[in-house]
Amino acid sequence: MTTLASAQAGTAGHDTGHDIALFEAEASKWLQANVSQYWRENRGALSETEEVKIRGEWDRILYAGGYSGLSIPREYGGQGLGLAHEVAFASAAARAQAPDALGRIGRILTAPTLIEHGTQEQKDKYLNPILSGEHVWCQGFSEPASGSDLANVKTLATKVEGGYTVRGRKTWTSYSAYSHRCLLLVRTDANAPRYKNLSLFLADMKSPGISLSPIKQISGSQHFSETDFDDVFIPDSDVLGGEGNGWGVSMTILKNERGSVEGAVRYIELRADMDLLVNCCARNGEYKELIQSLDTRTELVKWQVSKSVAREDDQIRFFSATAGLKVYWSDLWKEIANLGIKISCTSHRAHWRHQYLESRSASIYSGTNEIQRNIVAERVLGLPK
Amino acid sequence: MSKTVDLELNEIGVEAAAGLREMLKSAINGAPVSMYSVGEPISWKEFSEGGWDAIGISEADGGAGATLRDLVAIGHVWGQSVIPSPLITTIMAKRFSAAARTYDGPVSFAIKTRSSGDLGIIPFGSYGETKVLKNLTGGADSLVTTKDLEALADDYADSLRLAEGKLDTEFTKAAAEELALVWASEAAGAAFAMLNKAVEYVKTREQFGQPIGKFQIIKHYLADAQMLVELAETATMMGALDEKLRRDSAIYAFDASIKVIETAIQVHGGLGFTWEMGIHVYLRHATALRDLALEILN
Repeated sequence: MTTLASAQAGTAGHDTGHDIALFEAEASKWLQANVSQYWRENRGALSETEEVKIRGEWDRILYAGGYSGLSIPREYGGQGLGLAHEVAFASAAARAQAPDALGRIGRILTAPTLIEHGTQEQKDKYLNPILSGEHVWCQGFSEPASGSDLANVKTLATKVEGGYTVRGRKTWTSYSAYSHRCLLLVRTDANAPRYKNLSLFLADMKSPGISLSPIKQISGSQHFSETDFDDVFIPDSDVLGGEGNGWGVSMTILKNERGSVEGAVRYIELRADMDLLVNCCARNGEYKELIQSLDTRTELVKWQVSKSVAREDDQIRFFSATAGLKVYWSDLWKEIANLGIKISCTSHRAHWRHQYLESRSASIYSGTNEIQRNIVAERVLGLPK
Repeated sequence: MSKTVDLELNEIGVEAAAGLREMLKSAINGAPVSMYSVGEPISWKEFSEGGWDAIGISEADGGAGATLRDLVAIGHVWGQSVIPSPLITTIMAKRFSAAARTYDGPVSFAIKTRSSGDLGIIPFGSYGETKVLKNLTGGADSLVTTKDLEALADDYADSLRLAEGKLDTEFTKAAAEELALVWASEAAGAAFAMLNKAVEYVKTREQFGQPIGKFQIIKHYLADAQMLVELAETATMMGALDEKLRRDSAIYAFDASIKVIETAIQVHGGLGFTWEMGIHVYLRHATALRDLALEILN
């Protein structure tokens, strides 16, 4: 017979909850002192130039305060803490309505990918400027003819003395106009089979031959562009993970783009929008049930990230906990914005109009939610391809 | 008490969940749920002599001291097989009431719902020697028999052996929220089990010359269900660890879990709504518990 007593064998555990609570309390104090009042009050109604300026400054404030690269190891200039600290910081940042870092692609995507695949020289050269806020990165993945079918990229890199020349067109390049470097996915072999013909370059956005045409989005903002590469020279030293390994490197990038740290950062934005609904626009108690449900689901973003962090050492359970995160937060953000535009008060009308239109893109970028669902079905549930 | 790596779960929660999983598995021994839900795969004696019903009692009161976080982990395991036994209601009754702790048999509650009129619904009210709590603070006379309540069986959910009787248990807000959350964790466990069942089915069932799991619409249904299974479980953890969110977490976990079980029926096609397939046992279990939970939360 199984008794409760017989089921209890000793397992040693560890308790870091105390350290994290202390860290969060300190971060909270620091955030209260450092997030500008102007941003808090106007964040939804700023011009693009103003927004970019404040977010760029925020990168440098984070670095100066010791809050940049929390989960990046110390040897690479990060804080050497864990994902749990990222989540704790995101909670505190959400309460303080902190801005989103302009350098988010560098921090969340480039930095961990460099650590995994980069040469020592690449790490030395690129990690510090990312963490300090000096360099903003963009992502050159999608092309006019290859969106969801990412492995089908056509931008061609031809081998030349000391490097490659790149010809082709990328699109949906977010914040390209403010970026110093680009994670550029190209085809380095016109004949090799699919998935084996790609390479990932760390392209200098100031290189001759790169030109940008801004794309105006439905929200009216223009932080996307088409990016043309007209015989752009990329030195050998800027190939990440070796020629022909671009698909594998891209998977690392996408994993980070859709994973825990990104989820934690997204929670900040969702929480701020929910607070606006709860404390202002819906304060007369309209849509009470819906607001309560949205609020619970917003908190679940944070808890889901925490759960995945707790399961970090178990790859299968970690992936199960994170694989659906992007679909979850993006669909939720759309729902929040749907309600916002419906019940906005006068002073937040511009904010909700913007969020409503802007949030349409969230279920499309970073891999459409349809692609994400395929990934969940095939790689988490093991359904046949 | 030491913590493990999974969100504040204590040793007792980990070990009890694992022990219970083994015990349920060997008791069921591959039998279909539509069969064992009308039988008695594990006797009450086995649970009570094994000390399982005392797991949620504080150490000061002579119990094993499981926290609410531990109890939702146990509820999740329980919900995966919906064995027709009053273990969870008894664990909770003994956690709340000194009178319940003096009784060796199963204990439950009576809850009037929107649709039950003047009678309270009693989970396991038609199971063996179940006694029902009138309130959580009284002495021995707060425990009554189902005969005292003139209880009549309600056959909606075999796995819950429901009855209706003349009582509406008085809850405190705190107890109501804890009970609702643990019931919600049963629903989350049920959803987890039904997702797995659906996944196995769509991998093998072929139509148009291929497994139906290859069709994108099926993939997307089940991908959504996978996310809901994760989030329903997370909601029970969140509700256990954050008292302010407890009520809404329970409601979320129920709704998400029931949606998953409904999806499991859909992807099973014609078999999904047969009695024999047994998904209805889980659906009945979860919807019956949701009725009770919503009532005590309001």
